[in-house]
Amino acid sequence: MLNSDASAPAANALLAVEHVSKHFPTPEGVVTAVEDFSFSVKAGEFVSIIGPSGCGKSTLFNIIGGLLGGYEGRVSVDGATVSGTHPSIGMVFQEESTFPWRTVLDNVAFPLEIAGMDKAGRQERAAHFVALVGLQGFERRLPAELSGGMRQRVAIARTLASQPRILLMDEPFAALDEQTRLLLGDKVLQIQQELKQTTLLITHNLTEAVQLSDRVLVMTYRPGRLKRIVDIDLPHPRDSEVVSSEAFGHRVAEIWHDLREEASRGIAADEARVLRGGHRP
Amino acid sequence: MSAAAPLPVAALGIARLRLAIVLVVLAAWEALSASGLLFRDVIPSLLKIGAALGKLLASADFYGNLGVTAGEISVALLIGGTAGLAVGIALGANRFLSQAFESLLLYLGPTPKIIFFPVMIMWFGVGPGSKVAMGVLSCFFPVAISAAAGMRQIDRVLIRVGRSFRATTWQMVTKIYLHAMREPIINGVRLGLGVAIVGTLLAETKLSNRGLGYLVIQAYALFDMPKMYALVIVLFVLSIGVNVAIGRLGRGVGTK
Repeated sequence: MLNSDASAPAANALLAVEHVSKHFPTPEGVVTAVEDFSFSVKAGEFVSIIGPSGCGKSTLFNIIGGLLGGYEGRVSVDGATVSGTHPSIGMVFQEESTFPWRTVLDNVAFPLEIAGMDKAGRQERAAHFVALVGLQGFERRLPAELSGGMRQRVAIARTLASQPRILLMDEPFAALDEQTRLLLGDKVLQIQQELKQTTLLITHNLTEAVQLSDRVLVMTYRPGRLKRIVDIDLPHPRDSEVVSSEAFGHRVAEIWHDLREEASRGIAADEARVLRGGHRP
Repeated sequence: MSAAAPLPVAALGIARLRLAIVLVVLAAWEALSASGLLFRDVIPSLLKIGAALGKLLASADFYGNLGVTAGEISVALLIGGTAGLAVGIALGANRFLSQAFESLLLYLGPTPKIIFFPVMIMWFGVGPGSKVAMGVLSCFFPVAISAAAGMRQIDRVLIRVGRSFRATTWQMVTKIYLHAMREPIINGVRLGLGVAIVGTLLAETKLSNRGLGYLVIQAYALFDMPKMYALVIVLFVLSIGVNVAIGRLGRGVGTK
Protein backbone atom coordinates (compact mmCIF):
# COMPACT_ATOMS: atom_id res chain seq x y z
CA MET A 1 0.00 0.00 0.00
CA LEU A 2 2.84 2.38 0.78
CA ASN A 3 5.46 2.95 -1.79
CA SER A 4 8.36 5.31 -1.26
CA ASP A 5 10.37 4.32 -4.26
CA ALA A 6 9.36 6.51 -7.14
CA SER A 7 12.60 7.76 -8.61
CA ALA A 8 12.34 5.73 -11.80
CA PRO A 9 9.29 6.37 -13.96
CA ALA A 10 7.08 3.36 -14.54
CA ALA A 11 7.48 1.85 -17.98
CA ASN A 12 3.85 2.54 -18.87
CA ALA A 13 3.88 6.12 -17.58
CA LEU A 14 1.97 8.72 -19.59
CA LEU A 15 3.38 11.64 -17.61
CA ALA A 16 6.79 11.35 -16.03
CA VAL A 17 8.44 13.92 -13.78
CA GLU A 18 12.08 13.11 -13.10
CA HIS A 19 14.36 14.77 -10.55
CA VAL A 20 12.75 18.17 -10.92
CA SER A 21 14.17 20.97 -8.78
CA LYS A 22 13.39 24.67 -8.84
CA HIS A 23 15.17 27.48 -7.01
CA PHE A 24 13.97 31.06 -6.64
CA PRO A 25 16.17 33.99 -5.72
CA THR A 26 14.59 36.05 -2.92
CA PRO A 27 15.89 38.98 -0.86
CA GLU A 28 16.56 36.48 1.93
CA GLY A 29 18.61 34.16 -0.27
CA VAL A 30 17.84 31.37 -2.68
CA VAL A 31 14.74 29.40 -1.79
CA THR A 32 14.40 25.87 -3.08
CA ALA A 33 10.72 25.47 -3.85
CA VAL A 34 10.89 21.96 -5.26
CA GLU A 35 13.75 19.53 -4.78
CA ASP A 36 14.50 16.34 -6.69
CA PHE A 37 10.84 15.56 -7.26
CA SER A 38 10.07 12.42 -9.26
CA PHE A 39 6.85 10.58 -9.96
CA SER A 40 4.83 9.29 -12.85
CA VAL A 41 1.18 9.00 -13.79
CA LYS A 42 -0.20 6.10 -15.83
CA ALA A 43 -2.84 6.58 -18.50
CA GLY A 44 -6.31 6.79 -16.99
CA GLU A 45 -4.98 7.26 -13.48
CA PHE A 46 -6.13 9.95 -11.01
CA VAL A 47 -3.20 11.15 -8.94
CA SER A 48 -3.21 13.89 -6.32
CA ILE A 49 -0.29 15.81 -4.91
CA ILE A 50 -0.99 17.03 -1.41
CA GLY A 51 1.13 19.27 0.75
CA PRO A 52 0.96 22.15 3.22
CA SER A 53 0.73 25.74 1.96
CA GLY A 54 4.05 27.01 0.74
CA CYS A 55 5.42 23.57 -0.08
CA GLY A 56 5.93 24.33 -3.76
CA LYS A 57 2.79 22.63 -5.11
CA SER A 58 1.94 25.52 -7.38
CA THR A 59 5.54 25.72 -8.58
CA LEU A 60 5.29 22.08 -9.59
CA PHE A 61 1.94 22.78 -11.29
CA ASN A 62 3.45 25.60 -13.33
CA ILE A 63 6.51 23.53 -14.25
CA ILE A 64 4.46 20.56 -15.44
CA GLY A 65 2.05 22.86 -17.28
CA GLY A 66 4.97 24.55 -18.99
CA LEU A 67 4.29 28.07 -17.66
CA LEU A 68 7.47 28.09 -15.60
CA GLY A 69 10.91 27.35 -16.98
CA GLY A 70 14.41 27.41 -15.57
CA TYR A 71 14.16 24.21 -13.54
CA GLU A 72 16.40 21.17 -13.28
CA GLY A 73 15.19 17.73 -14.25
CA ARG A 74 12.81 16.52 -16.89
CA VAL A 75 9.09 16.43 -17.60
CA SER A 76 7.96 14.03 -20.31
CA VAL A 77 4.75 12.88 -21.90
CA ASP A 78 4.87 9.39 -23.39
CA GLY A 79 8.64 9.48 -23.13
CA ALA A 80 9.06 12.72 -25.08
CA THR A 81 10.53 15.63 -23.12
CA VAL A 82 8.16 18.55 -22.74
CA SER A 83 9.31 22.13 -22.47
CA GLY A 84 6.88 25.01 -22.45
CA THR A 85 3.13 24.62 -22.76
CA HIS A 86 2.06 21.46 -24.49
CA PRO A 87 -1.20 20.38 -26.13
CA SER A 88 -1.08 17.09 -24.18
CA ILE A 89 -1.43 18.90 -20.87
CA GLY A 90 -4.54 20.93 -20.06
CA MET A 91 -4.43 23.24 -17.04
CA VAL A 92 -7.23 24.28 -14.69
CA PHE A 93 -6.33 27.15 -12.40
CA GLN A 94 -7.13 27.81 -8.78
CA GLU A 95 -8.29 31.38 -9.40
CA GLU A 96 -11.48 32.46 -11.08
CA SER A 97 -10.40 32.08 -14.69
CA THR A 98 -13.45 32.25 -16.94
CA PHE A 99 -13.47 35.13 -19.43
CA PRO A 100 -16.17 37.47 -18.08
CA TRP A 101 -17.01 38.86 -21.55
CA ARG A 102 -17.66 35.43 -23.07
CA THR A 103 -20.73 33.29 -22.66
CA VAL A 104 -20.41 29.83 -21.14
CA LEU A 105 -20.35 28.26 -24.60
CA ASP A 106 -17.80 30.74 -25.95
CA ASN A 107 -15.62 30.25 -22.89
CA VAL A 108 -15.57 26.50 -23.44
CA ALA A 109 -14.96 27.01 -27.17
CA PHE A 110 -11.94 29.25 -26.46
CA PRO A 111 -9.16 26.64 -26.85
CA LEU A 112 -10.81 25.39 -30.06
CA GLU A 113 -10.90 28.93 -31.40
CA ILE A 114 -7.20 29.30 -30.56
CA ALA A 115 -6.50 26.05 -32.38
CA GLY A 116 -8.31 27.42 -35.45
CA MET A 117 -11.31 25.08 -35.49
CA ASP A 118 -14.25 26.26 -37.62
CA LYS A 119 -17.19 27.85 -35.86
CA ALA A 120 -19.72 25.05 -36.30
CA GLY A 121 -17.24 22.42 -35.18
CA ARG A 122 -16.16 24.25 -32.07
CA GLN A 123 -19.70 25.14 -31.04
CA GLU A 124 -20.70 21.52 -31.30
CA ARG A 125 -17.75 20.29 -29.31
CA ALA A 126 -18.09 23.07 -26.74
CA ALA A 127 -21.79 22.23 -26.29
CA HIS A 128 -20.81 18.62 -25.64
CA PHE A 129 -18.40 19.57 -22.86
CA VAL A 130 -20.81 22.11 -21.37
CA ALA A 131 -23.32 19.27 -21.08
CA LEU A 132 -20.65 16.95 -19.69
CA VAL A 133 -20.10 19.23 -16.69
CA GLY A 134 -23.87 19.49 -16.24
CA LEU A 135 -24.37 23.04 -17.48
CA GLN A 136 -26.72 22.41 -20.38
CA GLY A 137 -29.21 25.26 -20.57
CA PHE A 138 -26.59 27.79 -19.44
CA GLU A 139 -24.72 28.02 -22.75
CA ARG A 140 -25.75 31.63 -23.42
CA ARG A 141 -25.20 32.86 -19.87
CA LEU A 142 -22.30 35.05 -18.84
CA PRO A 143 -19.99 33.96 -16.00
CA ALA A 144 -21.25 36.81 -13.79
CA GLU A 145 -24.69 35.17 -13.79
CA LEU A 146 -23.32 31.87 -12.47
CA SER A 147 -22.24 30.70 -9.02
CA GLY A 148 -18.56 30.13 -8.21
CA GLY A 149 -19.00 26.37 -8.49
CA MET A 150 -20.65 26.71 -11.90
CA ARG A 151 -17.88 29.00 -13.12
CA GLN A 152 -15.28 26.48 -12.02
CA ARG A 153 -17.17 23.80 -13.99
CA VAL A 154 -16.99 26.10 -17.03
CA ALA A 155 -13.22 26.36 -16.53
CA ILE A 156 -12.94 22.57 -16.29
CA ALA A 157 -15.12 22.10 -19.38
CA ARG A 158 -12.97 24.62 -21.25
CA THR A 159 -9.80 22.68 -20.49
CA LEU A 160 -11.48 19.34 -21.27
CA ALA A 161 -12.68 20.74 -24.62
CA SER A 162 -9.06 21.03 -25.71
CA GLN A 163 -8.97 17.24 -25.17
CA PRO A 164 -5.68 17.08 -23.31
CA ARG A 165 -4.19 13.69 -22.58
CA ILE A 166 -3.45 14.87 -19.05
CA LEU A 167 -5.78 17.10 -17.05
CA LEU A 168 -3.68 19.16 -14.63
CA MET A 169 -5.61 20.98 -11.92
CA ASP A 170 -4.30 23.34 -9.22
CA GLU A 171 -6.72 23.43 -6.28
CA PRO A 172 -9.67 23.98 -8.58
CA PHE A 173 -12.17 23.87 -5.71
CA ALA A 174 -10.19 25.98 -3.25
CA ALA A 175 -12.54 28.95 -3.43
CA LEU A 176 -15.70 26.85 -2.97
CA ASP A 177 -17.57 25.86 0.16
CA GLU A 178 -17.23 22.32 1.52
CA GLN A 179 -20.56 20.99 0.21
CA THR A 180 -20.08 22.37 -3.29
CA ARG A 181 -16.56 21.01 -3.19
CA LEU A 182 -17.75 17.45 -2.37
CA LEU A 183 -20.45 17.48 -5.04
CA LEU A 184 -18.15 18.98 -7.63
CA GLY A 185 -15.65 16.28 -6.70
CA ASP A 186 -18.31 13.69 -7.58
CA LYS A 187 -18.81 15.38 -10.92
CA VAL A 188 -15.11 15.46 -11.68
CA LEU A 189 -14.74 11.81 -10.73
CA GLN A 190 -17.70 10.80 -12.87
CA ILE A 191 -16.28 12.69 -15.87
CA GLN A 192 -12.84 11.28 -15.23
CA GLN A 193 -14.26 7.72 -15.32
CA GLU A 194 -16.35 8.47 -18.37
CA LEU A 195 -13.48 9.94 -20.39
CA LYS A 196 -10.83 7.71 -18.76
CA GLN A 197 -9.14 11.06 -18.28
CA THR A 198 -5.64 10.93 -16.86
CA THR A 199 -5.72 13.52 -14.10
CA LEU A 200 -3.18 15.17 -11.83
CA LEU A 201 -4.71 17.22 -9.04
CA ILE A 202 -2.74 19.58 -6.82
CA THR A 203 -4.49 20.17 -3.51
CA HIS A 204 -4.08 20.87 0.18
CA ASN A 205 -7.42 19.25 0.98
CA LEU A 206 -7.17 15.78 2.50
CA THR A 207 -10.78 14.74 1.93
CA GLU A 208 -10.63 15.83 -1.68
CA ALA A 209 -7.38 13.99 -2.32
CA VAL A 210 -8.64 10.72 -0.85
CA GLN A 211 -12.14 11.03 -2.34
CA LEU A 212 -10.85 11.42 -5.89
CA SER A 213 -7.50 9.72 -6.24
CA ASP A 214 -6.03 6.36 -7.09
CA ARG A 215 -2.79 7.52 -5.54
CA VAL A 216 -1.86 10.43 -3.30
CA LEU A 217 1.63 11.91 -3.28
CA VAL A 218 2.49 13.66 -0.03
CA MET A 219 4.87 16.58 -0.36
CA THR A 220 7.20 17.91 2.33
CA TYR A 221 7.26 21.53 3.44
CA ARG A 222 9.99 23.59 1.80
CA PRO A 223 11.95 22.40 0.01
CA GLY A 224 9.11 20.44 -1.60
CA ARG A 225 10.21 16.83 -1.82
CA LEU A 226 8.18 13.70 -2.31
CA LYS A 227 7.60 12.31 1.17
CA ARG A 228 5.45 9.31 0.48
CA ILE A 229 3.03 7.78 -1.99
CA VAL A 230 -0.23 6.41 -0.62
CA ASP A 231 -2.36 4.11 -2.76
CA ILE A 232 -6.06 4.73 -2.31
CA ASP A 233 -7.56 1.28 -2.81
CA LEU A 234 -11.14 2.34 -2.25
CA PRO A 235 -13.56 0.77 -4.72
CA HIS A 236 -14.72 2.47 -7.94
CA PRO A 237 -17.10 3.97 -8.91
CA ARG A 238 -16.87 6.27 -5.92
CA ASP A 239 -18.95 9.20 -4.88
CA SER A 240 -18.91 11.62 -1.99
CA GLU A 241 -20.69 9.03 0.21
CA VAL A 242 -17.29 7.40 0.48
CA VAL A 243 -16.16 10.06 2.92
CA SER A 244 -18.23 8.43 5.67
CA SER A 245 -16.76 4.94 5.20
CA GLU A 246 -14.28 3.43 7.64
CA ALA A 247 -11.70 2.70 4.95
CA PHE A 248 -11.82 6.35 3.88
CA GLY A 249 -11.13 7.41 7.45
CA HIS A 250 -8.10 5.13 7.57
CA ARG A 251 -6.60 6.60 4.42
CA VAL A 252 -7.20 10.15 5.61
CA ALA A 253 -5.61 9.34 8.97
CA GLU A 254 -2.63 7.77 7.25
CA ILE A 255 -2.00 10.77 5.06
CA TRP A 256 -2.65 13.22 7.86
CA HIS A 257 0.01 11.49 9.92
CA ASP A 258 2.56 12.47 7.27
CA LEU A 259 1.06 15.77 6.36
CA ARG A 260 0.76 16.94 9.95
CA GLU A 261 4.51 17.05 10.47
CA GLU A 262 4.95 19.07 7.29
CA ALA A 263 2.12 21.45 8.01
CA SER A 264 3.54 22.03 11.52
CA ARG A 265 6.92 22.80 10.05
CA GLY A 266 5.25 25.23 7.66
CA ILE A 267 3.47 27.03 10.45
CA ALA A 268 6.64 27.16 12.58
CA ALA A 269 8.58 28.55 9.63
CA ASP A 270 5.93 31.21 9.04
CA GLU A 271 6.01 32.24 12.68
CA ALA A 272 9.80 32.46 12.66
CA ARG A 273 9.67 34.57 9.54
CA VAL A 274 7.20 37.02 11.05
CA LEU A 275 9.35 37.30 14.18
CA ARG A 276 12.38 38.04 12.01
CA GLY A 277 10.35 40.70 10.29
CA GLY A 278 10.86 39.09 6.92
CA HIS A 279 8.37 38.78 4.11
CA ARG A 280 6.67 35.74 2.77
CA PRO A 281 8.50 34.83 -0.42
CA MET B 1 -24.97 58.06 -9.70
CA SER B 2 -25.87 57.38 -6.06
CA ALA B 3 -26.93 53.87 -5.10
CA ALA B 4 -30.33 54.87 -3.72
CA ALA B 5 -32.83 56.25 -6.22
CA PRO B 6 -32.96 60.03 -5.80
CA LEU B 7 -36.28 61.47 -4.71
CA PRO B 8 -38.28 62.76 -7.66
CA VAL B 9 -38.68 66.04 -5.81
CA ALA B 10 -34.88 66.47 -5.69
CA ALA B 11 -34.58 65.61 -9.38
CA LEU B 12 -37.21 68.18 -10.21
CA GLY B 13 -35.39 70.71 -8.04
CA ILE B 14 -32.13 70.07 -9.87
CA ALA B 15 -33.83 70.47 -13.27
CA ARG B 16 -35.38 73.74 -12.13
CA LEU B 17 -32.08 75.03 -10.81
CA ARG B 18 -30.31 74.20 -14.08
CA LEU B 19 -33.03 75.90 -16.11
CA ALA B 20 -32.89 78.93 -13.83
CA ILE B 21 -29.11 79.28 -14.28
CA VAL B 22 -29.44 79.07 -18.06
CA LEU B 23 -32.23 81.66 -18.07
CA VAL B 24 -30.28 84.01 -15.79
CA VAL B 25 -27.19 83.79 -18.03
CA LEU B 26 -29.25 84.38 -21.17
CA ALA B 27 -31.09 87.30 -19.58
CA ALA B 28 -27.81 88.85 -18.40
CA TRP B 29 -26.36 88.40 -21.88
CA GLU B 30 -29.35 90.05 -23.49
CA ALA B 31 -29.33 92.89 -20.95
CA LEU B 32 -25.61 93.51 -21.52
CA SER B 33 -26.14 93.44 -25.26
CA ALA B 34 -29.03 95.94 -25.06
CA SER B 35 -27.21 98.24 -22.61
CA GLY B 36 -24.79 99.43 -25.27
CA LEU B 37 -21.95 99.48 -22.72
CA LEU B 38 -19.73 97.41 -24.93
CA PHE B 39 -18.43 98.03 -28.41
CA ARG B 40 -21.01 97.02 -30.98
CA ASP B 41 -21.46 93.30 -31.60
CA VAL B 42 -18.89 92.13 -29.01
CA ILE B 43 -21.97 90.87 -27.21
CA PRO B 44 -24.55 90.61 -29.99
CA SER B 45 -28.18 90.06 -29.07
CA LEU B 46 -29.46 86.51 -28.89
CA LEU B 47 -31.74 87.17 -31.85
CA LYS B 48 -28.77 88.14 -34.01
CA ILE B 49 -26.86 85.04 -32.94
CA GLY B 50 -29.97 82.93 -33.62
CA ALA B 51 -30.31 84.38 -37.08
CA ALA B 52 -26.59 83.83 -37.79
CA LEU B 53 -26.95 80.25 -36.55
CA GLY B 54 -29.88 79.65 -38.89
CA LYS B 55 -27.98 81.11 -41.81
CA LEU B 56 -24.90 79.06 -40.93
CA LEU B 57 -26.81 75.80 -40.71
CA ALA B 58 -28.44 76.51 -44.06
CA SER B 59 -25.17 77.18 -45.89
CA ALA B 60 -23.38 74.52 -47.93
CA ASP B 61 -20.08 76.18 -47.03
CA PHE B 62 -20.57 75.26 -43.38
CA TYR B 63 -21.15 71.58 -44.11
CA GLY B 64 -18.14 71.43 -46.38
CA ASN B 65 -15.90 72.80 -43.63
CA LEU B 66 -17.59 70.64 -41.00
CA GLY B 67 -16.77 67.63 -43.16
CA VAL B 68 -13.14 68.70 -43.41
CA THR B 69 -12.78 69.10 -39.65
CA ALA B 70 -14.67 65.89 -38.85
CA GLY B 71 -12.52 64.04 -41.37
CA GLU B 72 -9.31 65.43 -39.87
CA ILE B 73 -10.36 64.47 -36.36
CA SER B 74 -11.46 60.97 -37.45
CA VAL B 75 -8.23 60.25 -39.28
CA ALA B 76 -6.23 61.69 -36.36
CA LEU B 77 -8.10 59.48 -33.89
CA LEU B 78 -7.67 56.44 -36.09
CA ILE B 79 -3.92 56.92 -36.51
CA GLY B 80 -3.14 58.27 -33.05
CA GLY B 81 -5.48 55.83 -31.32
CA THR B 82 -4.09 52.77 -33.10
CA ALA B 83 -0.51 53.87 -32.51
CA GLY B 84 -1.29 54.68 -28.87
CA LEU B 85 -2.96 51.32 -28.36
CA ALA B 86 -0.05 49.41 -29.89
CA VAL B 87 2.55 51.33 -27.89
CA GLY B 88 0.48 51.08 -24.70
CA ILE B 89 0.05 47.32 -25.03
CA ALA B 90 3.76 46.86 -25.72
CA LEU B 91 4.70 48.97 -22.69
CA GLY B 92 2.14 47.27 -20.46
CA ALA B 93 3.27 43.82 -21.52
CA ASN B 94 6.99 44.34 -21.29
CA ARG B 95 8.60 45.57 -18.09
CA PHE B 96 11.87 46.40 -19.82
CA LEU B 97 10.19 48.62 -22.44
CA SER B 98 8.03 50.16 -19.77
CA GLN B 99 11.02 51.13 -17.63
CA ALA B 100 12.83 52.49 -20.68
CA PHE B 101 10.04 54.57 -22.20
CA GLU B 102 7.05 55.02 -19.95
CA SER B 103 8.40 57.98 -17.99
CA LEU B 104 9.03 59.69 -21.33
CA LEU B 105 5.40 59.13 -22.25
CA LEU B 106 4.20 60.49 -18.91
CA TYR B 107 6.32 63.64 -19.25
CA LEU B 108 5.54 64.27 -22.91
CA GLY B 109 1.83 63.59 -22.44
CA PRO B 110 0.81 66.87 -20.78
CA THR B 111 3.11 69.17 -22.80
CA PRO B 112 1.23 71.54 -25.11
CA LYS B 113 1.41 69.96 -28.55
CA ILE B 114 0.70 73.25 -30.30
CA ILE B 115 4.42 74.09 -30.06
CA PHE B 116 5.00 71.40 -32.70
CA PHE B 117 2.57 73.08 -35.10
CA PRO B 118 5.20 75.02 -37.09
CA VAL B 119 7.11 71.77 -37.58
CA MET B 120 3.93 70.02 -38.71
CA ILE B 121 3.21 72.79 -41.20
CA MET B 122 6.70 72.37 -42.64
CA TRP B 123 6.26 68.64 -42.89
CA PHE B 124 2.63 68.35 -43.95
CA GLY B 125 1.67 71.74 -45.41
CA VAL B 126 -1.00 74.30 -44.55
CA GLY B 127 -3.88 71.98 -45.53
CA PRO B 128 -5.55 69.20 -43.56
CA GLY B 129 -2.31 67.18 -43.30
CA SER B 130 -0.81 69.36 -40.58
CA LYS B 131 -4.17 69.41 -38.71
CA VAL B 132 -4.34 65.63 -38.73
CA ALA B 133 -0.75 65.53 -37.48
CA MET B 134 -1.70 67.83 -34.57
CA GLY B 135 -4.67 65.62 -33.77
CA VAL B 136 -2.50 62.49 -33.86
CA LEU B 137 0.12 64.07 -31.60
CA SER B 138 -2.61 65.08 -29.16
CA CYS B 139 -4.52 61.83 -28.90
CA PHE B 140 -1.59 59.40 -29.00
CA PHE B 141 -0.54 60.09 -25.42
CA PRO B 142 -3.75 59.61 -23.45
CA VAL B 143 -4.56 56.43 -25.39
CA ALA B 144 -1.05 55.02 -24.90
CA ILE B 145 -0.98 55.87 -21.18
CA SER B 146 -4.44 54.36 -20.57
CA ALA B 147 -3.63 51.24 -22.56
CA ALA B 148 -0.37 50.68 -20.67
CA ALA B 149 -2.17 51.07 -17.34
CA GLY B 150 -5.01 48.86 -18.59
CA MET B 151 -2.60 46.09 -19.56
CA ARG B 152 -1.26 45.96 -16.04
CA GLN B 153 -4.76 45.73 -14.57
CA ILE B 154 -5.63 42.59 -16.51
CA ASP B 155 -6.29 39.63 -14.24
CA ARG B 156 -3.03 37.63 -14.52
CA VAL B 157 -4.84 34.32 -14.52
CA LEU B 158 -6.59 35.18 -17.80
CA ILE B 159 -3.18 35.68 -19.39
CA ARG B 160 -2.03 32.33 -17.97
CA VAL B 161 -5.14 30.67 -19.42
CA GLY B 162 -4.31 32.10 -22.85
CA ARG B 163 -0.71 30.95 -22.57
CA SER B 164 -1.72 27.49 -21.37
CA PHE B 165 -3.77 27.09 -24.55
CA ARG B 166 -0.77 28.30 -26.56
CA ALA B 167 -2.40 31.43 -27.95
CA THR B 168 -0.16 33.46 -30.26
CA THR B 169 0.69 37.06 -29.40
CA TRP B 170 -1.90 38.28 -31.91
CA GLN B 171 -4.55 35.98 -30.40
CA MET B 172 -3.62 37.16 -26.90
CA VAL B 173 -4.13 40.78 -28.03
CA THR B 174 -7.38 40.31 -29.94
CA LYS B 175 -9.03 37.63 -27.82
CA ILE B 176 -7.88 38.57 -24.30
CA TYR B 177 -6.12 41.93 -23.87
CA LEU B 178 -8.53 44.11 -25.85
CA HIS B 179 -11.58 42.62 -24.12
CA ALA B 180 -10.09 42.69 -20.64
CA MET B 181 -8.94 46.30 -21.17
CA ARG B 182 -12.13 47.60 -22.72
CA GLU B 183 -12.88 50.15 -20.02
CA PRO B 184 -9.42 51.74 -19.82
CA ILE B 185 -9.26 51.76 -23.63
CA ILE B 186 -12.61 53.51 -23.97
CA ASN B 187 -11.55 56.02 -21.32
CA GLY B 188 -8.30 56.59 -23.18
CA VAL B 189 -10.14 57.04 -26.49
CA ARG B 190 -12.54 59.48 -24.85
CA LEU B 191 -9.67 61.56 -23.48
CA GLY B 192 -7.86 61.16 -26.80
CA LEU B 193 -10.83 62.34 -28.81
CA GLY B 194 -11.20 65.38 -26.56
CA VAL B 195 -7.60 66.45 -27.07
CA ALA B 196 -7.69 65.50 -30.77
CA ILE B 197 -10.59 67.95 -31.20
CA VAL B 198 -8.64 70.60 -29.30
CA GLY B 199 -5.42 69.95 -31.24
CA THR B 200 -7.12 69.97 -34.63
CA LEU B 201 -9.27 73.04 -34.03
CA LEU B 202 -6.44 74.96 -32.45
CA ALA B 203 -4.28 74.22 -35.48
CA GLU B 204 -7.10 75.30 -37.78
CA THR B 205 -7.44 78.64 -36.02
CA LYS B 206 -3.69 79.25 -36.29
CA LEU B 207 -3.05 78.65 -39.94
CA SER B 208 -5.34 76.90 -42.40
CA ASN B 209 -7.53 77.29 -45.44
CA ARG B 210 -10.41 74.97 -44.53
CA GLY B 211 -12.35 73.61 -41.53
CA LEU B 212 -14.51 74.95 -38.72
CA GLY B 213 -11.54 76.50 -36.90
CA TYR B 214 -10.78 78.38 -40.10
CA LEU B 215 -14.41 79.61 -40.26
CA VAL B 216 -14.26 80.82 -36.66
CA ILE B 217 -11.05 82.78 -37.17
CA GLN B 218 -12.33 84.12 -40.48
CA ALA B 219 -15.53 85.35 -38.82
CA TYR B 220 -13.37 86.97 -36.15
CA ALA B 221 -11.15 88.65 -38.75
CA LEU B 222 -14.23 90.03 -40.54
CA PHE B 223 -15.69 91.02 -37.18
CA ASP B 224 -18.80 88.97 -37.91
CA MET B 225 -19.45 88.34 -34.21
CA PRO B 226 -22.91 86.76 -34.55
CA LYS B 227 -21.47 84.18 -36.97
CA MET B 228 -18.51 83.55 -34.70
CA TYR B 229 -20.77 82.94 -31.71
CA ALA B 230 -22.97 80.70 -33.85
CA LEU B 231 -19.90 78.64 -34.81
CA VAL B 232 -18.75 78.45 -31.20
CA ILE B 233 -22.20 77.18 -30.18
CA VAL B 234 -22.17 74.58 -32.95
CA LEU B 235 -18.69 73.40 -31.94
CA PHE B 236 -19.71 73.11 -28.30
CA VAL B 237 -22.83 71.14 -29.12
CA LEU B 238 -20.94 68.83 -31.46
CA SER B 239 -18.16 68.18 -28.93
CA ILE B 240 -20.64 67.44 -26.16
CA GLY B 241 -22.59 65.18 -28.51
CA VAL B 242 -19.48 63.20 -29.47
CA ASN B 243 -18.47 62.80 -25.81
CA VAL B 244 -21.94 61.63 -24.82
CA ALA B 245 -21.94 59.17 -27.73
CA ILE B 246 -18.59 57.68 -26.68
CA GLY B 247 -19.74 57.52 -23.06
CA ARG B 248 -22.86 55.61 -24.17
CA LEU B 249 -20.75 53.29 -26.28
CA GLY B 250 -18.50 52.63 -23.28
CA ARG B 251 -21.41 51.79 -21.04
CA GLY B 252 -23.14 49.74 -23.72
CA VAL B 253 -20.24 47.40 -24.29
CA GLY B 254 -19.06 47.60 -20.70
CA THR B 255 -22.15 45.78 -19.45
CA LYS B 256 -21.88 43.03 -22.00
